[in-house]
Amino acid sequence: MLRYVLTRFAIWIPSVLIVMLAVYALAFYGAGDPIKLIFLRAPGDVAYNPQRIEAIRESAGLNKPFIVQFGLYIWNLLHGQFGNSLTSGRSVWAMVSAAAPVSFQLALCSIILTAVVAIPLGMIAALNQNSRIDYAILGSALLLWAIPAYVAGPLLMVGLIVLLPGASVPYGWGGILDVRILLPLLVLSFQPIALIVRQTRAAVIEVLSEDFVRTARAKGVPEIVVALRHILRPVLTPVVTQLGLIMITIVNGAIFVELVFGLPGLGRLTVQALINSDYPVILAITLIGSFLVMVSNLLVDVLYPLLDPRANDSRRSR
Amino acid sequence: MSFDQSDKTNISRRNALKLGLAAGVGLTVFGMNARIVLADEGQVLKVAHPAFDQDWSPLRGGGRTFRWNSIWWAAPMYFDSEGNIKPYVFTSWESADNTVWTFKIDPKAVFSDGSRITAADVKGSWEVASMPNTKSQRADQVLSKVKGYAEIAAGSGNELTGVATPDEGTVVVTLAAADPIFFMRLANHIAPITRASQSRGSDGEEIIDWYKPDSQPVFSGPFKLTSIDIDAGKLSFEPNENFFGPKPKLARIDITSIEDNVSATSLIKSGEFNAHTELITSTIIQDLGPEFSAGPLIPTSQHFWFNISRAPMDDPKVRQALIMAVDRDGLFKASYPDGPHKKADQILNSVPGADNSGFEPYPYDPAGAKKLLAESSYGGPERLPKILFVGISGPAIQAAAQFIAEQWRQNLGITAVDMKPQQDSYAGPDQNSVQIFRDDVGTRVPDAVSYLAGSIASTSSNAQNKLGGYKNDKVDSALAEATTKPADDPQRIALAQQAQKAFRDDWAFIPWYSQAMSRWATKEVKGLEKNLDWQIVEPWNISIG
Repeated sequence: MLRYVLTRFAIWIPSVLIVMLAVYALAFYGAGDPIKLIFLRAPGDVAYNPQRIEAIRESAGLNKPFIVQFGLYIWNLLHGQFGNSLTSGRSVWAMVSAAAPVSFQLALCSIILTAVVAIPLGMIAALNQNSRIDYAILGSALLLWAIPAYVAGPLLMVGLIVLLPGASVPYGWGGILDVRILLPLLVLSFQPIALIVRQTRAAVIEVLSEDFVRTARAKGVPEIVVALRHILRPVLTPVVTQLGLIMITIVNGAIFVELVFGLPGLGRLTVQALINSDYPVILAITLIGSFLVMVSNLLVDVLYPLLDPRANDSRRSR
Repeated sequence: MSFDQSDKTNISRRNALKLGLAAGVGLTVFGMNARIVLADEGQVLKVAHPAFDQDWSPLRGGGRTFRWNSIWWAAPMYFDSEGNIKPYVFTSWESADNTVWTFKIDPKAVFSDGSRITAADVKGSWEVASMPNTKSQRADQVLSKVKGYAEIAAGSGNELTGVATPDEGTVVVTLAAADPIFFMRLANHIAPITRASQSRGSDGEEIIDWYKPDSQPVFSGPFKLTSIDIDAGKLSFEPNENFFGPKPKLARIDITSIEDNVSATSLIKSGEFNAHTELITSTIIQDLGPEFSAGPLIPTSQHFWFNISRAPMDDPKVRQALIMAVDRDGLFKASYPDGPHKKADQILNSVPGADNSGFEPYPYDPAGAKKLLAESSYGGPERLPKILFVGISGPAIQAAAQFIAEQWRQNLGITAVDMKPQQDSYAGPDQNSVQIFRDDVGTRVPDAVSYLAGSIASTSSNAQNKLGGYKNDKVDSALAEATTKPADDPQRIALAQQAQKAFRDDWAFIPWYSQAMSRWATKEVKGLEKNLDWQIVEPWNISIG
């Protein structure tokens, strides 16, 4: 197992290097010079001063050739230095480590909410296949899937103000125990809930036709026991795997939710870094994203046999 | 009494549910309390800030954070909302030759710890603001003519050799060239006065985070920064009890980053916030009332600039035809039907000389425009290359650009028009074919010459970049002569007007609108007038209710 994990890490390192090289090249050759961006915001560009811009560029090392800059970045990274933000001068590590816990907490809550809501709904839909309940659940899931976060967020926020005059606007971050988290959590969970409902429903329908379910029912086991003990357990394995993958999507993709509801997480930081062409911050976030993907894939691979003993048996039989 | 060990370790399902319910209720109440604590009433100005800015150094000289400089820093002098110059740290200014200027510091001017603001602090503040690594966006507007500035800006020096401090209360500035309005350039918060020993390191560079409460800084303005959470985007300011000016009326100013305009509007409507740094939405008047964004016109204006070196703008008749084919009343109505801005006919606005400047507005003459296009070297619309606009970002700008394109289609038969939002960084395949740049031009001092020097003089960035290397000797010589005249000399204004008239004859832009300085505050907020520098004129006068 250890060898397997080490091999995966060894494969991950060149993959990440390629990703970093691509991101660095896009930032380097693409539109948006961070130093010019700082200076070209004055009315009429009267603050534009090529001499001054060149002096700043030189002090930030941005006048060096592409490959030298990239090499220096990787060298610093190997020494645990993520560098400083080009626009604020702050340590990138400090910025990312302040933002990441917010995104992770939010993602974790979203996953829990998704599991608590979506798995039972998916089961209910499957157990009432082709009934009105099934159609209602499936239809709702489709609706949730179709509404993007940048539409749902502002709509719910404005709707709350219209429906409940005097209610506080849910804005800002006070931790996962703060009531303000409810609305962003809902918005963030819409699409994962829709996905898991449909996946659970499909998996349950498949399991319903299995012999062991028919046997349990034939033995007179109560329907609720059949559902929870015989159907739910085999269904959980792929669903939990999917939930793990969704978590990455949520951490990486909470941009609109974090902007609309003022949550100081990675999404918000990403937008700010992109607007400012702040390469060190963009690269650090990219690195975290690719690390998350790698770790979750690794965890899924490692945990799969633990979740489903049959997978372990098949590996042993090989 | 017997004690069943299994009861101790195994919790029943019913009890688990009860426990879960109690925990849920407890956590919810805790969460609600956390929200209630945040609510605050009274004389607290709650400001929504549109960007998650991570750099609040007062020495940056530009950007959105700069717009709050006057609440916590003092300036040499300041312009009031009427455009009159007022003493602040400096009580007097004089120059016999417009090259050597002497300024006297108010003996009562002190920092928040009660210590005196000295000439050394003024010199040090200007020097650190000029250092390239400080990344001040506008230090050059204030200090570029001071001896030694050019070396600092180029990274080869760290001292303003032209600034002398003969005593604690006197600053003598020697300029590289005479500038009759130098005193006006200082009257802003672009390079505010800080304690130099705190803001500047031994290497001459700005000390990172020197202004944060953890560094125990001293402040020169009416409020002091008491807390800052950069990662959450929150700042709080409280009155500076040693402020040498009038006592502030507010108990606190809270600034919170709210990037989303819908959220910001909702928070202002619900009363949780009462001001904004810069809220621009197409429905702002419907949402928050006309008072929210109302304000006086400032010397900044928006236009569509023609790159005269690129086809088809290289033909003056084409340029003239394109301008005359646009009904500019309609153009303004299409973009800002409810204000707060005002239609512009010329570049100059809200500076001495803007009225009766002699600049005759461009006529709307579709028939004349069609005739000119036919007479041009292109012979008609079918032989014109595609016309490409950049800087078309935001609903109002899009409406304006689409109106222009539609006028050209109807009046001239031009159909090949394209628009891109990017401006300075436009990097599409047609990058070298962009002929029209939508952009603003302006000045920070109420002076016509300064306004035009930054927009139509051949040395300006606008002329070099957006106008495609525009150069008109009549314009340049009139402005060059005007800069030597004192601020109150009628000749200075007359020469500026003459330059603008000469520019008119080159048909190089479509005038659009003169910008209003919006309050961006609810009507309950009083005393929030701003000056040309986007600063609150007298922050000590702000009150609520």
